[in-house]
Amino acid sequence: MTNADATIAVNSELAARDDMIISDGVDKWYGDFQALKGVTATIKEKEVVVVLGPSGSGKSTWIRCINRLEQHQNGRIIVDGVELTNDTRNIEKIRSEVGMVFQSFNLFPHLTVRDNITLAPLWVRKKPRGEAEQLAADLLERVGIPEQADKFPGQLSGGQQQRVAIARALAMEPRIMLFDEPTSALDPEMIKEVLDVMKELARSGMTMMVVTHEMGFAREVADRIIFMESGEIVEVGTPEHFFTNPTEDRTKLFLSQIL
Amino acid sequence: MVMGTERLDEATAELLANVAAEDAKRPDEPSLPFGEWVKKNLFSSIPNAFLTIFFSLLTLFAYRQILNFVFSEERRWEGVRVNLRGLFTFSYPASQYHRIWITLGIVLVLSGMSMGLMKSIGRGFSIKRISMWFFSVGLSLVVGILLREPSVLKDADGLARWSFPDGSPITRSETGLLLIRDDEGVSLLAEGESPLLLRESFGSAMSDRGWWWIIAVFALGIGSALWFGFGDMKRRTTFIPAIPLTFGFLGLFISSVWWYQWGHYGRDDAGILISEPDRLVASTTRIPWTILWFVLVLAYVAGRALVRTERAGLTRVLIGFSALLTPFVTYFVILRDPDLDWAHVWSTDIPMALAFMVGGGLIMWILTNPAIGERGRLIATALMGIAVFNWVAAFFGWYAMLQKARISFLLLALAALAAHNFAGDARQRLRSVWGWMGAMVIVHYLATMINTAETVAAPDQFAGGFVVTIYIAVFTMIFSFPLGVILALGRTSRMPLFRVMSTIYIEVVRGIPFITILFFFAVFVEFFLPEGMDLAALASAGIAFTLFSAAYLAENIRGGLQAVRQGQYEASDALGLTTVQRTGFIILPQALRVSIPPLVGAVIATFKETSLLSIVGLTDFLRVANSNIPGQTEFLGVKREGLLFICLIYWIGSYSMSKYSQRLEKQLGVGER
Repeated sequence: MTNADATIAVNSELAARDDMIISDGVDKWYGDFQALKGVTATIKEKEVVVVLGPSGSGKSTWIRCINRLEQHQNGRIIVDGVELTNDTRNIEKIRSEVGMVFQSFNLFPHLTVRDNITLAPLWVRKKPRGEAEQLAADLLERVGIPEQADKFPGQLSGGQQQRVAIARALAMEPRIMLFDEPTSALDPEMIKEVLDVMKELARSGMTMMVVTHEMGFAREVADRIIFMESGEIVEVGTPEHFFTNPTEDRTKLFLSQIL
Repeated sequence: MVMGTERLDEATAELLANVAAEDAKRPDEPSLPFGEWVKKNLFSSIPNAFLTIFFSLLTLFAYRQILNFVFSEERRWEGVRVNLRGLFTFSYPASQYHRIWITLGIVLVLSGMSMGLMKSIGRGFSIKRISMWFFSVGLSLVVGILLREPSVLKDADGLARWSFPDGSPITRSETGLLLIRDDEGVSLLAEGESPLLLRESFGSAMSDRGWWWIIAVFALGIGSALWFGFGDMKRRTTFIPAIPLTFGFLGLFISSVWWYQWGHYGRDDAGILISEPDRLVASTTRIPWTILWFVLVLAYVAGRALVRTERAGLTRVLIGFSALLTPFVTYFVILRDPDLDWAHVWSTDIPMALAFMVGGGLIMWILTNPAIGERGRLIATALMGIAVFNWVAAFFGWYAMLQKARISFLLLALAALAAHNFAGDARQRLRSVWGWMGAMVIVHYLATMINTAETVAAPDQFAGGFVVTIYIAVFTMIFSFPLGVILALGRTSRMPLFRVMSTIYIEVVRGIPFITILFFFAVFVEFFLPEGMDLAALASAGIAFTLFSAAYLAENIRGGLQAVRQGQYEASDALGLTTVQRTGFIILPQALRVSIPPLVGAVIATFKETSLLSIVGLTDFLRVANSNIPGQTEFLGVKREGLLFICLIYWIGSYSMSKYSQRLEKQLGVGER
């Protein structure tokens, strides 16, 4: 069965045409500890979903399962019509469709900013060098640091590094962007510059899944908020519903602690 | 790796320039007056003062003993001088010596060019530092002149003069055995008495060392001229680039062969000793050395001329490749005279090389097409199947393709399997094709050259001495490094078979003493070879060194691999890089950078361990000094001089490598984290 066949099969069985990520009863154990307990959610095209929850609630684990940085044990994950299985080709396909931004940036310290960005377009997308470099220049312009192309990551501030990391992920022209606590490692004055880039990205219609503790961002940008605790989804709703009128006690407790 | 080295250099240069600019702005640190400095650093407390005095005395004592050893009348340094060529090349025929010069020339061109092509050549040495050198040389000379014991007095026949313990002189009888006291007739030393060696007085010893005084004063004079000539601190911190300065000193030294009588030593064609101290060095040495100096300087100038041009990057890559090939080309082609069977070359070797170049190039072109997808992997797998089958068939004797063809086919299959990692646009694909063709040219050229009879002397003994030391060291470095990388990757791999095999290999090799491995290879290696194949002793020693050193390198590299953070793997995976790309572009470059200090340590260790070659019957540097020179009729037992000399050469080699690695570390460390 080719990828195309698999796509059609999955689509007809489970998915609506604009479902980008389907997580269906996903379980994940670390040894005896169950990190994810039957996590089920669907994320539509162009939707911005913010995942909230106390630390240790499994939100990072979940988002990392979606591009196979972690392997789930039960349930199904379907990304843009391709199911995550042990088949390397499916994993490769999904990874090239999904961009990821990490808490600790994870830029390649031995490459310049430009080479960080062009690496994947050159070697994974097989773009000609000129095209890839043009793309890098455009993306650096977009994240607001066009003048830093020849520097090394170590020479940039944290906020600039994270913006390079976003540009690097965007260089693969992904259909989905995953953000794993992108501002948690930043000094307060640098958080805004990164959030601004993410807001711009959300407005441009990118499908985004964001794990964060930035309530202001969640309230302003999110289409939906998913609240997790102890590996379960506790509550799902619009920001308005979530911040003003939550139904679950656990959500209320969390909000009272954080706001 | 592939990308960015050029920009890395630019950024490095820029950063260093910034550092220099910052330095210029910073105010000078107030320097303490000499007395204060001594008090603060050497005599700050009673225990420290004691330590200072104790170790100064110890140093002076050691210095004196070394000087006494080196300048003792008993030393026969002409044993080293006469045998200089022997120490470096052993029995290499004098008529073929131009080959050695050509080899050296190639090495110097490559090193000169690569030095010239370095974007940042560092700040160099400050005037302050240079004048300090001159001061320390001058001061050590003065101390040395004062410390060394006075020379032995000699009689008219050049024999040392002795006295009885009570001071009355000893005269030798005609047989030289009896000790005669002049006024009282014949007498002998009493029981327990030992005669005294008569030495000149301290005053006459000092005046005898006139030339040394002149050199010492000269050095001190230059030192103070530089110090006071560049009056204030700002000007004393003027920097002179290191490389031109080094070339200058080297040039001064080499020019001395034209005006200083170093003496003419050696053996003539009949093996008769030549020892003429009052002559210039032989012109067969003088002229090549002078030419080589100019070659080095010209190569450097050419490198500097290229450094700012478009071609710099390409030239660097070419120099890197040539540097890797030089040992083989010189060993098999230049130092040896390949005696080619031209009929075979035209009928078989060249057509085969062309076939592999064209056919393989075509296959590479097809397989690096990004659109080929699954079919590409099938083709590559099929090629690998055939390649492996060729070896199996040859082993069982079903059919036997020429070995060169089997190797080329295997290489082609490996390249085909890796091809999808390097797929891309037409330019990218053409690069893979050219890469394949270039590799084939090199492989077939070397294979043809190696597989020939030779005309210069016998296989193992045509070179010896330092040449063997260097060849084994370079051979080991070139081969053990990739093997070490593979073993390290294997040991950290997620595939159990690789991991277990690498671990077993590393642990077994590290658990056996190296000497044992060397003997094992000298004796047992033939059991592992196909019938009729015979490895030269030098080659089997080289393989033993490579296999041994790879295990240690692997552990060093593994340390570097573990220093690469998990996030780097995750980021590469999230971008969709393949395992090969992730390893080659992201993980290895970072891991190797971290491993530079231990890797250089291993290289230096290998360089020194080559001295073990002498115990498996090869004539290396140590063996010439330790056995060959003391075995010559004219220099029976003259061993200490040679050993001291090779110590010096080994030290110079190791120390320069260590200095180079410090520099490399500094250069690569810039811009990291």
